Amino acid sequence: MDFYLGLLQIIGVHTILGLSAYCVLLTGQVSLAQAGFFAIGAYVAGMLTVLAQWPVIPALGASAVVAGAIACAVGFPALRVKGLMLVVATIAFGEAVRLFFFNFTYQVQAGHLMLGPHGAEGFRQIRYFPEHGWTTLDVMLFIWAVVALVMAAIWWLDRSRAGAVLRAVGEDEFAAQSSGINITAVKVSAMTIGGVIAGIGGGIFAHYTTHIEHVQFGVVLATFAVAYPILGGLSSVFGTLLAVIFIQGFLIEGLRFMGDWRNLLFGALIVLAMNVRPRGLLDAGTVLALKRLIVSRKD
Amino acid sequence: MGPSPAVHRLAVSRSSVLTSAAIDVEFLDLIDAVQSVADGVLFGATYALLGIGFTLVFGVMHKINLSYAAASIGAAYASLLILAVIKAPPILVFLMAAAAGGVAGGLVYLIGFKFIPFANPLATLMSTVGLLLLIDEIIVHTTAGVPLNYPALYSDVIVRVGAFNLRGDLMFIFALCCVCMVALLLLLYRTRLGLATRAVSQQPTASELCGISITRVNVLTFVITGVVGGVAGAMTGAAIGILSPLLSLPLTVKGLIVTVVGGLGSIPGAIMAGLVVGGLENLFQFFRGVSERDLYIMLLLFVFLVFRPGGFFAMPAGRD
Repeated sequence: MDFYLGLLQIIGVHTILGLSAYCVLLTGQVSLAQAGFFAIGAYVAGMLTVLAQWPVIPALGASAVVAGAIACAVGFPALRVKGLMLVVATIAFGEAVRLFFFNFTYQVQAGHLMLGPHGAEGFRQIRYFPEHGWTTLDVMLFIWAVVALVMAAIWWLDRSRAGAVLRAVGEDEFAAQSSGINITAVKVSAMTIGGVIAGIGGGIFAHYTTHIEHVQFGVVLATFAVAYPILGGLSSVFGTLLAVIFIQGFLIEGLRFMGDWRNLLFGALIVLAMNVRPRGLLDAGTVLALKRLIVSRKD
Repeated sequence: MGPSPAVHRLAVSRSSVLTSAAIDVEFLDLIDAVQSVADGVLFGATYALLGIGFTLVFGVMHKINLSYAAASIGAAYASLLILAVIKAPPILVFLMAAAAGGVAGGLVYLIGFKFIPFANPLATLMSTVGLLLLIDEIIVHTTAGVPLNYPALYSDVIVRVGAFNLRGDLMFIFALCCVCMVALLLLLYRTRLGLATRAVSQQPTASELCGISITRVNVLTFVITGVVGGVAGAMTGAAIGILSPLLSLPLTVKGLIVTVVGGLGSIPGAIMAGLVVGGLENLFQFFRGVSERDLYIMLLLFVFLVFRPGGFFAMPAGRD
């Protein structure tokens, strides 16, 4: 049972990470910096609960603010460029963050233990959940409450005027600009929202794994973050959730019985999925068909 | 009651010996620093080749092929097959790597680009990521994850220039990369194929109206960049001495950085940027250690993006 609860935790945290990339992708920008914001959130929240003895929810709030502020600051220079240049710029930012934490040591003596991040060894003993008697089920429910909150917020954003503006910039920048939209402001806001969400996700990640280190936040995690929304399709937030379940639940856990061959199938199935459904698993056509199905049932 | 004059003199002479030793150490440090930069510039030729590959594909298709460095390493692995069959000389292994790279380039186009709508850059980005993971896993699967030795040429030759040593194997790699670049420039600027490639990269529709087959140009671009990548992969293996699938991600990142620092679509820029990044990498490693080295390379990239987004030889503003 704990195995399935753990799997649900992983799926929840990765959904949050995927949704943070979804916000930026809506404006047509591919950001591989999400793993960097995720790492910042993880370290900030971990240090606040372990070193400053904060409760977990204010710590997550603080990690969201810090990651959002850094995303906003990075957004201005990075969003001057687009396309391949932005991909490279954001990879560089993510790697710089990872390498910063690789060299970052700040430890405090607590009893016979040294607490805090310790360079290449990482940050151990982030034990807020076990110390406060949270069971695996509690943690899982907490994670999914946050996932539901984030998904509802983005779903609502998508239906508001702000969502239309984001999509307008993503569809055609020049047309959006001609109709009086400040593209830079829109892109930087999308980046900031993405940073806030990634910061929350990172904070939760640090607490349920209890041990974080720099290698976890590399290019691979950044690629996964954009892979979820692209694979799932950008027409709905549920596409990202579907893609996370497809990758984490089916490709990684479901194919475990295939042993060594699983890793081979992993890449091959992603290539196949993109060839068969280039607009994502849950593309606009499918969403429309599903809506019609539901509406006709009601009649 | 101060120290006696003799003791004082002794102390003075001791300290002067110490300062002259310190100066010697500083001088040796300087020599070592220049030496490591020289090694880095020679090795940077492989980055330059990778940068050219990314730039060419981007120039023709306006798409990113993220599986490029992985395919290059894969081609270098494939070339080891010929060593397993016969005891071939290293130069034959390098040729084999180039051929395997060409085949890999064609396959990448067929699997990752051919069947995906042209107007959907996100889908091709993702399919090449899938290919990157797939190629890495094929390598891990066939070699059981064990790094393999790679042959080098002239590794016993060391040329002394004043206080510096130039490694023969690195110089050979540098020379081979230069030959590769010259051949590529000739191909692009002196042949009909090169003319067609440049035409497609400037105006796809107009060049199609002039009777150029875009698909053919795209396939040939992938094959040519694949050959270049195969050489780069083989050279990386020869310079490091081993091949490992762990090389493909760092090489992808370095290749992309070189592409941007050199300016998108600029081949001279990519060459220059490759050598500069290679040299600076070793310089940072010398002064700040290997764990901080890449941090400064990333910061360098950010400086370029902010102050010189067009790269070294900034072209007039064009498409992204």
